[in-house]
Amino acid sequence: MPAVLTVDPRSGVPIYLQIIEQVKRSVALGVLQAGEQLPTVKQLSIDLTVNPNTVARAYRELEREQVIETTPGRGSFVRPDGVAESPRVAADIGRAALTAALREAKAVGLGRDETRALFEAVLERWFPTEST
Amino acid sequence: MSTITISNLHKRYGSVAAVDGVTLEIPTSSVFGILGPNGAGKTTIFKCMLNLAQPNAGAIRYEGRPLSAPLFERIAYVPERSVLYDWMTIAEHLEMNRRAYATFDSGRAGELLEQFNVDRRKRARALSKGMRTAAMVAFAFARNAEVLILDEPTGGLDPVNQRHVLSLMINEAARGNSVIFSSHQIGQVERAAERIAIVDRGRLVLEGLVDDLKADRKIVEGIFPDTRFRLDGIADDARVARTDRTERIVRLLVTAGADEIAQRLSGTGATAVRVLDLNLEDIFLYAVSPATATTDVIAEERVL
Amino acid sequence: MNYVEWLRVRNLLRIVAIILGVLLVLAVVLRISVARYTTPAHWISQIEGQPDVKVQHVTLPDGTKRTIVDHPAQGTHVVVDDRGYAGTHIVVTEPTKSHHENDNFSVGSVSVSESKHGSVKTTVIDTNGAVPMIYYMALADLVALIVATMLAAPFAREADGHLEVALTKPIPRARYAMEAIAADVAGIIVASLLTIAALYICQLLFESPRLDFSGVNARAIAIGIACPLAWYALVCAATTWMHRAFGAVLGFAWPVAILVGVLAAIHPRNVVGLFIHDVAWVLSRFNPISYVTFPNEPTSAAFFASDPTFLPRLAVMLLMFVVYSGLAMVKWQRMEA
Repeated sequence: MPAVLTVDPRSGVPIYLQIIEQVKRSVALGVLQAGEQLPTVKQLSIDLTVNPNTVARAYRELEREQVIETTPGRGSFVRPDGVAESPRVAADIGRAALTAALREAKAVGLGRDETRALFEAVLERWFPTEST
Repeated sequence: MSTITISNLHKRYGSVAAVDGVTLEIPTSSVFGILGPNGAGKTTIFKCMLNLAQPNAGAIRYEGRPLSAPLFERIAYVPERSVLYDWMTIAEHLEMNRRAYATFDSGRAGELLEQFNVDRRKRARALSKGMRTAAMVAFAFARNAEVLILDEPTGGLDPVNQRHVLSLMINEAARGNSVIFSSHQIGQVERAAERIAIVDRGRLVLEGLVDDLKADRKIVEGIFPDTRFRLDGIADDARVARTDRTERIVRLLVTAGADEIAQRLSGTGATAVRVLDLNLEDIFLYAVSPATATTDVIAEERVL
Repeated sequence: MNYVEWLRVRNLLRIVAIILGVLLVLAVVLRISVARYTTPAHWISQIEGQPDVKVQHVTLPDGTKRTIVDHPAQGTHVVVDDRGYAGTHIVVTEPTKSHHENDNFSVGSVSVSESKHGSVKTTVIDTNGAVPMIYYMALADLVALIVATMLAAPFAREADGHLEVALTKPIPRARYAMEAIAADVAGIIVASLLTIAALYICQLLFESPRLDFSGVNARAIAIGIACPLAWYALVCAATTWMHRAFGAVLGFAWPVAILVGVLAAIHPRNVVGLFIHDVAWVLSRFNPISYVTFPNEPTSAAFFASDPTFLPRLAVMLLMFVVYSGLAMVKWQRMEA
């Protein structure tokens, strides 16, 4: 588990959001399976060397979003339907990345057509169409 | 121990106000970081908290009551400079702690001293600055205290030991104790602290949860085609904490609503507008340095 | 218990014990090297060789070795009773023409008594008399005063970069202060006892020691304990209030006290001199050592009756200890790191 999660405290992104993001990503990619146990808040805070309340906040948020469920005395586990949410989670992650990319393109002054052309080029590279 | 409240604290040394009206509430079971430039008053705040200095005005309350001698059983303190007795060995310091504090764990202190590589047979004068800090840290963390007050606990320590102190602080928080510390190592504060306060020239300039500060505070940056532009009162928005201008670039530090303000800025003719995240170091630097301009600009009369 | 102060005291007492130990070793060496020369037998053997001298040796029923030396030409008759470790008793009878009075004096454990009958002078010398404790106390006091001065800056030393440790202990400041003072007082008293023990052992090397505790000696013991404690408290108060320069205060304590004492003792005739004398006299009233008086000769009169100034002087010293300690504690309460 520690190898899966890393956080960058020097990033402008709050640590708890980074943890949430990474847990969701792990679930979406199948790295975290349904029913798999997460480390305790205390253990994760020690492993990541971050404040335990930050970890607790991340877990609370993940629970609120129904990605994990916490049973007192037993621990925190990935919800089975948390896994089922993966397509939606993947879509969320994808949307966030594309939004950031487009915002950046606009910030450097690219126009709509230029941006679309660039997008098509990169798309082709990453999702090549079958050659006939 | 529940909340520690600092109310309107004032402390003067001669004609200099070291602490000039600071009010803080430090909740329990958390790690609270106090940041500030040198001479900002952090050490003075700690001294007032421990009755090592008498405030000129204001009060500090532990669980609603002023500090009394028995409370020291539950508070551990690591000062900024070495206060060890030069002529005593580390083992004698250990014995002194053991006799003075009922909850002192000699075994744990011994373990910590070993982990920091401090030879307990040596006299304090024979130890380097880092070793002395490490010894003081070891004694403090062996106290099982509910509140740990650490003034620059990593001063003089090598990176390995710095990380070790960090882990100790996080461990204490995980055990339900409170850690209040000041540090110039912003990376450490970012990891360990849940809440921070930034002090500058004796005054509190910023306070809050680290995660919230990072989430809410952004820089909205706009680049204009030339130096003639108006901000149309955007800088007067309550959410704009500060405006910095250099030539054709405007940076607005916003405390909330970054996207909305970015939209408005696009509307004023900026060619490139973007929203930048801030890490704690950025937040700190912005909080303690003066703005390069705070008012709306009017055409070419303004040369920066 | 103030562990840090106790460690300071213990380290100092170690040094005192080592110094006393060295002195003892020197005494032993001295004892061994002069052993041959201090017995009456040696002295007598020097005389035996001379002409015109008649020497008789007798052993008395109780084991005493009696030697009778006669010098008929000079009319001198000497009887030496050697009781070995228990001492020597010597009676010298000789003609004399001078008119001196009967005389008694003693130095340490040796007492000498001279009397005149007609033209004959009889001198009786006794060793192994009782040693008046005042001699012991004089030396023990000196050591105690030195130790007291060395220990007399506990709060100034804490203020020299250790207040963050000293003032964050879970005991009230007043109690911390009292424990420090108690440790120092114990150290001063132990230093006195160590000195007395060392002197006693020194005496043991030479003769079986007997001590005289009567009269002025008992008073000397009381004053001998109270005076260094009052001096400690005085210097403690001075170093606590002037804690940034406590080294200078400790160094100058002796010289200033001596200077003030001297100025208070001399009586110049000119106006400026008299003024200085008066100021010095007033200042010296604050110094407990000014209240130590030395008797002209040890007497064995009643404990109080022969010195009406004793109780007031003792009371002043004890009062000074309390007041000066209190002053130091008041300043300690207000110390800031």
